[in-house]
Amino acid sequence: MARTILIVDDHPSFRTSARRVLEAGGFAVVGEAADGASGYAAARDLHPDVVLLDVGLPDADGFRVAGCINGLADPPSVVIVSSRDSSDFGPLVARCGARGFVAKADLSGAAVAALLP
Amino acid sequence: MSFPGLTAGKRAGIAAIGFVGLLGLAAAIVAVVTGTDLTPRWLVILLVPLIGVAFTATGMYAWARRPESWFGLQMSLVGLAWFLATLGGSDEPVLFTLGWVFGSLYAAVVIHALLGFPTGRLTSPVDRAFVIAIYALTTVVPLAQALVVPSPAGYPRNLVLISDDSGLAGIASAVLQYGSLFAAGGAVVLLLARWARATPPQRRLLAPLLWCGVATATLLTLTVIGELLHLPEGVVNAVDLAGVAIFASVPLAFLAGIVRSNLSRGQSVGQLVARLGGVGGGRGSLRDALSSALRDRSLAIAYWMPAATGVPGTPPDQGRYVDASGAAVELPRPGSGRSFTEVEREGRRVAAIIHDSSLDEEPELVRAAGAAAALTLENERLDAELRVQIAEVRASRARLLDVVTRERRRIERDLHDGAQQRLVALALTLGIAEQQVDSDPASAQALIREARGEARLALEELRELARGIHPAILTDRGLGPALEALASRAPLPVELGDVPRERLPAAVEGAAYFVVAEALANVAKYARASCAAVAVRRVNGTAVVEVRDDGVGGADPSAGSGLRGLQDRLSAIDGRLAITSLSGMGTTIRAEIPCLPTTTTSRR
Repeated sequence: MARTILIVDDHPSFRTSARRVLEAGGFAVVGEAADGASGYAAARDLHPDVVLLDVGLPDADGFRVAGCINGLADPPSVVIVSSRDSSDFGPLVARCGARGFVAKADLSGAAVAALLP
Repeated sequence: MSFPGLTAGKRAGIAAIGFVGLLGLAAAIVAVVTGTDLTPRWLVILLVPLIGVAFTATGMYAWARRPESWFGLQMSLVGLAWFLATLGGSDEPVLFTLGWVFGSLYAAVVIHALLGFPTGRLTSPVDRAFVIAIYALTTVVPLAQALVVPSPAGYPRNLVLISDDSGLAGIASAVLQYGSLFAAGGAVVLLLARWARATPPQRRLLAPLLWCGVATATLLTLTVIGELLHLPEGVVNAVDLAGVAIFASVPLAFLAGIVRSNLSRGQSVGQLVARLGGVGGGRGSLRDALSSALRDRSLAIAYWMPAATGVPGTPPDQGRYVDASGAAVELPRPGSGRSFTEVEREGRRVAAIIHDSSLDEEPELVRAAGAAAALTLENERLDAELRVQIAEVRASRARLLDVVTRERRRIERDLHDGAQQRLVALALTLGIAEQQVDSDPASAQALIREARGEARLALEELRELARGIHPAILTDRGLGPALEALASRAPLPVELGDVPRERLPAAVEGAAYFVVAEALANVAKYARASCAAVAVRRVNGTAVVEVRDDGVGGADPSAGSGLRGLQDRLSAIDGRLAITSLSGMGTTIRAEIPCLPTTTTSRR
C-alpha cells in the first residue's frame, strides 16, 4: 500500500508541483495545508505517514511546527523542504526532530522515501 | 525716574492717596497739638505725624515703582489708618468717635502688608484666614464695644453709644485683649513661617522688612501680655514705646532694601562683566557667573533654538528652548516659584534665564545681567544649536539605516516568494518531464511547454524586482526617461508634465522615482481612475513631486505599508509627503524633497 503524505507550504504553485511529483513517485497525497496551524491540525486529524513541511510559513517557522507535530501521539515522519539550501539553517534541521531535509528543486518521491525508515 | 507699567488709573489712585494723606496729616497735627492725654508729649508730637507721613509716602513710591504689586497701596493705607487713629485725640465728637473706634485698624493693615510682601497677595489659605480675622478684630469688635461703653471722662461724647452696659463691655474688652494677643502672636508665627519657607534669594529680598515686622509684632505681644499680667505701668509703657519705634522703622527698612538692591545691582553686573571677560569656555562657567551675579544658586539657562530654517511653512518665531546639551527645556509656569527672563540680542531671541521668582522683584537686575551676558549667551547658544544638529543628524542616520535594513528584508522576501518559487516549480516540472519522455512523450512535451512558461514568468519577476531595487534607466538616463518608462508601463493613461531636464542628486532622483512608482501602483490598485498626471518641479531648492488621479479618493495613508515605507525613505533625506484624498475628488500625492547639493551630485 502506498505511503500517505501531507504537504504543508504557503505557495500554491509549489503544492501543485509537489503533489504531482510525489504522486508520480508512489505516495498518496492525503492533504494540503498553507500555514503552520492548519498543517498541525491536518497532521493530527489525517494521520499521514509523512509530513512534507516548508520552513517559511506565514504564521510560524517550519522547525517549530515540526516540534509540535513530533509531540503528537504516534507522530508522522517529518521531512523539511525549502527553496533555500539546508546549509542556510545550520543545525536546526537536525534539532527539530525531522527525518531530514530536501531542497525544493530536488524533490522527488525517491528523495523523500530515502529519508524514511 | 520713569515707572514702567503705571496706568492712568493707578496714577490717579496714588494722587488721591497723597491728597487724603495731606488731610490726615493736618488732622493729626491738630489732634496731637491740642490733645491732652498723650504722654510723653514731645515724643508723640514728633513720632505721630512722622509715622503717618513715612508710611503714606513710602507706599506711594512703592506703588509707582511696582504698579502690579498691591504692597505699595497697602503701605500707604497703613499711613492713612494711622492718621485715622490720631483722630482719637480730637475734641470734635465725630472725629473722636471715628479715631477711638478704628484706632487699631493700622495694625491689621500693616500685618496684611507684611504677610503679602512683595506681591501684596496672600498665597496661603492660613494667611488669608488670619488677615480676615484681624480685620474683624480691629473693626467689628471695637465698634461693638463702642455701642455699650461711654467715652472716658474728659473726652468728647461717644456718638455711637446705645446703652451703657458694663456686662457686655467686659466681654468686648476681654475679646479685644485676648484677640490682640492672638493677632500679635499669630503675626510673629506666620512671619517666621514665611521666612522658613523662603528660598535663599527670597530671603535676601524679605530680610529687612520681615525682621522689622517680627520685632514689632513680638514687642506688641509682650505689651499685651504685660497688660494681662498687670505688670508695672512703666515696664509696659517702655515695651510699648519700643514697639512703636520699631513699627516706625518699617518704611525705612523697605527703603533700605531698595537702596541695598540698587547698590548690589551695580556691583553684581560689574563683577559679571569682569568675569565674562575671563570666561575661557567650558560648559557651565557662564551659568556660574550669572548665578553668582544674581545670587541665585538654582539659576539655569535655556537657549533659544529656532525651528529648522528652510522648511516650508514654518513661522519664523517658532522654535523651542534647549539646555547646553541640546535637550528640550520647559519654561516655568507662573506661580510655580520659578520664573524666567528672556534675553534678546539685536532684536533676536537668544536665551532665557530661569531663576527664582523672587528675582521678579528686581527685573532691572536680571535684565542688566542678561544684557551684559548677551554676547556670551549667543556664543553658547550657537554651541547648543550645533549639538542639536548633530543629534538630529545621528537620528536621521539611524532612521536611514532602518530604511535600508527593511528594504533588504523586503528584497529577500520578494526573491524568495517570486522568482525562487518559479524556478523550483520549473525544476520539478522538468524532472517529471524527464521521467515521462520515453513512456509518454506527448505529456512530457506539454510539461516542457509549461516549464518554459514558468521560466518566462521567473525572468519577468526578476526584472521587476531589479527595477524595484534601482531601475537602470534612472541611473543611466535620469528622472525624465525613467518616469516616461514608468508611465508607459502603467495600466492607465498617465500624462507626464514638467520634469527637470538636469540631473538631480541620486538620492533625490531615487526618492522622486519611487514616490511616482508607488503612487501609480496605488492608483492602478485602488483608485478606479480613468487617468493620472505626474509632474516634478523645482521650487527654491526643493523638488516637488506631484501625482494626481481622477479616481474615487478616500485613500488612507496609514493603511498601507507602501506609503509608510515612502515616508521613511523621504524623512531620511528631510523630505515630506502630503496626501490629499477627499472621497469622490481623486487623490493627490505630493512629496517635497530638499535637493541641497551633496557630494554625490557631481556625477553627470
